[in-house]
Amino acid sequence: MSASNLLELHNISKSFGALTALRDLSFHVGQSEVVGLLGDNGAGKSTTVNLISGIHKPTSGHLSVDGQKTLFTCRSDSADAGIETIYQNTALVDSLSITRNIFMGRERTNAFGFLKQAEMRDIAMEVLQKAVHISGIDSPDKLVGDLSGGQKQAVAIARAVFFKRRVLLLDEPTSALSVRETEALLAQVLKLKAEGVSSVLVTHNLYHAYQVCDRFVIMSHGTKVFDVKKADTTISQLTEYVVLT
Amino acid sequence: MTYAMTDSAVPKSRTKKQSLLKQIMTMPAGAILLVFVTLQIVCIAGALIYPDSFRYLSPQNLTILMKAIPVLGCLALGAGVLMIAGEFDLSIGSVYTLTAVLMASLVDSGMSAFLAAPLGILLGVMIGLLNGAITLRFGLPSFIVTLGGLLFWRGAVLLYNGAVQVRFDPEPAFTSLFAGTFLGINAAFIWIVLFVIGFYLLMHRHKFGNHVFATGGNPAAATAIGINTDRVKMIAFAIAGGMAAVAGILATARVGSVQPGQGAGLELQAIAACVIGGLSLRGGRGSIIGIFLGVMLIHTITDVLLLLRAPGFYLDMFIATLIVVAAAFNHLIERRGAA
Repeated sequence: MSASNLLELHNISKSFGALTALRDLSFHVGQSEVVGLLGDNGAGKSTTVNLISGIHKPTSGHLSVDGQKTLFTCRSDSADAGIETIYQNTALVDSLSITRNIFMGRERTNAFGFLKQAEMRDIAMEVLQKAVHISGIDSPDKLVGDLSGGQKQAVAIARAVFFKRRVLLLDEPTSALSVRETEALLAQVLKLKAEGVSSVLVTHNLYHAYQVCDRFVIMSHGTKVFDVKKADTTISQLTEYVVLT
Repeated sequence: MTYAMTDSAVPKSRTKKQSLLKQIMTMPAGAILLVFVTLQIVCIAGALIYPDSFRYLSPQNLTILMKAIPVLGCLALGAGVLMIAGEFDLSIGSVYTLTAVLMASLVDSGMSAFLAAPLGILLGVMIGLLNGAITLRFGLPSFIVTLGGLLFWRGAVLLYNGAVQVRFDPEPAFTSLFAGTFLGINAAFIWIVLFVIGFYLLMHRHKFGNHVFATGGNPAAATAIGINTDRVKMIAFAIAGGMAAVAGILATARVGSVQPGQGAGLELQAIAACVIGGLSLRGGRGSIIGIFLGVMLIHTITDVLLLLRAPGFYLDMFIATLIVVAAAFNHLIERRGAA
């Protein structure tokens, strides 16, 4: 593994009591790379996501960011390292506006903690228009609860884009989306890659992964069984690995 | 690459442009504002048409209204912040009495009221923190924990003080500061207006408020984004307890004594005011102005029924209907939002 790897997992194991969720898992995410993390249900994908985003701590092994060994003990550690997780059921609050959601927990305030509302609104407007084009969102004051699944996903991505994330962790991002929304999301991942943002696409939809990923990591029973560049494989070979291992 | 691939691919909006009335109704506290303004117009018109039999606009009546609103107002503001954070405090009525009894007996034993009052608020804050600690540490519903608090502190008042009234006789400066008149306006009413402004700034203009809404609206999301939801809830519990003590101070300064049974049922009225004001029982929704309008509405209706010389039970039935209608209405709005 070269020193330029953004994120590396080294021999990570994770047990929950008697259950071993991850066994000796190692893989890396390079600069401007889209990695597909594939595997059937129960392969340990979600545990991996939680581990990278700092919600779980590894039982053994470690992570490194830019070649530096690190330990994420909570969500904000991974955020500080530039990792943003976009969850299956996006981490948004329905009863708050888009602006408030984008800046949730990272509000722009004056010295007394009062919100700079106009500033945040302008930024939200700009991010929504320039970074993530979504049809149907005309105002950042809209409540997130009034948005569709794809629009919510887009708001979560807009949040990641604005806070200059280097790695997006997308956990089953397409499971709740319409066909058109899925296409737009995948396009967004490629656009971000062109801007230097890496992504880890966690999915069991091989076709979606094949469309955008540069490399595939296939997991089974808590460990990596296959790691291959897109050029060196076919979708049927990937299917075989997911199904048969 | 855009979401809207071409303009023609975007279907025309299938939702109709909403009428002004509907827009107001979906605003936070919009519906309650509408009800409140309508009621005021009816009352003022009635008072102008029948000045002798319906004395709504008489100075005496307005003074009564202004004196009545602050106590429930303080309780409801504290309970409301906690409700937005997704928790309840049923013990505020008992805490209100307990802190008032403590303050009055400290003053009785020679302490300055300016020292005794902050001590009362401190006790309220401590009880709030205790409620919060038990709720969060053991993962219990706050409804149950604070139901325990309601009974426990009610009993504690009787243990500490017995069932006798406590005289409250502070220095005149204290009385005029909290129960006097300033520019013709009742001092307690000025206090509640200041509190409403302060809570508005805290909840709608400060990052803490944003964290409270996030904590109540989607705890998992708030945690995932790095908000310490337990800390937010602890502060909200402390605010509820502290504001119960403030309500006790205002009530005691006005009356000049404390009855050990005076807080019973006030916690339910405070929660009722919050529900009428548009707060969701599930947390995450509501507004400070809605809470205040809810309090004013309860007191306006009480006042009108008294002026009409209606028997007291009408009042309970009226408020009860209002709560259920308000809750049903809020639920409709929420479902629309969640769709």
